[in-house]
Amino acid sequence: MILTGPEIERQVRLGGIFVDPYDPDQVRPNSYDFRLGNLLCGYEADLLDARVENRTWRREIPEEGVVLERGKIYLGHSVETIGSEQFVPIIRARSSVARLGLFIHVTADLIDIGYIGQWTLQLHAVQPVRVYPGMLIGQVTFWKVRGAIRLYDGKYQAGRGPQASKSYADFQRADASAVTGLGAARG
Amino acid sequence: MVLSGSEISASVARGEITLEPFEPSLVNPNSYNYRLDPWLRVFRDDLVDARRTPETVDLVIPPEGLVLEPGFLYLGRTFEVIGSDDYVPSLIGRSSLGRLGVYLQVSADLGNLGARHQWTLEIVVCQRVRLYPLMRIGQVSFWVPVGEKKPYTGYFGDFSWPEPATPSVLGLAPAMEAPPERP
Repeated sequence: MILTGPEIERQVRLGGIFVDPYDPDQVRPNSYDFRLGNLLCGYEADLLDARVENRTWRREIPEEGVVLERGKIYLGHSVETIGSEQFVPIIRARSSVARLGLFIHVTADLIDIGYIGQWTLQLHAVQPVRVYPGMLIGQVTFWKVRGAIRLYDGKYQAGRGPQASKSYADFQRADASAVTGLGAARG
Repeated sequence: MVLSGSEISASVARGEITLEPFEPSLVNPNSYNYRLDPWLRVFRDDLVDARRTPETVDLVIPPEGLVLEPGFLYLGRTFEVIGSDDYVPSLIGRSSLGRLGVYLQVSADLGNLGARHQWTLEIVVCQRVRLYPLMRIGQVSFWVPVGEKKPYTGYFGDFSWPEPATPSVLGLAPAMEAPPERP
């Protein structure tokens, strides 16, 4: 079940949802619009590797905007610190942004319950597109949960600004179990 | 309503959700991390035709990884057999992979109630990226449906290999190959 806009507003007041800064004008019928923060991050190398820490660059998006080029993955962030310990957030681009061919996440729309921070946005442009700091870029919906809740305590908790991938951390702790899993299950 | 991680584990224990092999360390607060099977399939030709079964080439990701190139669609599959008669699965990527520009689906993240198989992944990368066999690549969430359930009899229900869409699945083959006879 999805929360309506007025219910999001009520939960923000009750503390069930955390949004800071919060602006009632950004409440939609069944979502909340969020803004693009002014820091942008990307990878220095053209070839990325899921098992290593890829080197990144980071720069400020000026008032006159920055052009995102096709064929690159950029990491942005929400202005707002958002999260909930009671509802599961799912993020999407605003349709106005999608109509420009800009993805704001790369098949990772589901946020863990208990993650509270600025969201890292995975920006990918179909054709070059200029974006501006503070623009309304995405919307978040909130969903009811069934079952006992165990809050997120993972590697991205309380992020500020764009956070690059830490997929390499999975390999440090998971190599052995993954190999065991293969042996056990597939002989 | 979406199932919490604890509820996913409990549903697996009750037999309401299939996640095989099940590994408790892969449970997230409201999803389960699936791993990448080593087999990939790509189209032989650059232009694919929605009316024809495309020629494909199979690849195996070696232990040292395989570099995926932008501009191609890689059909992969989950290592795990995933499905449920009781909850609707939504199969997506993980933010750690999204942050590397790895799409795991092409706008088709919704599973069917009753379909139980190694799920086909539609992998597209923004930049060249090296991926590894059996890495944790995506996550699946489970949703409580409302209403009467109907058994899944779909085309892809029994496949354990990434099948490219075929003309018959797209409802085009009869018109193309043999126009139906008029009485």
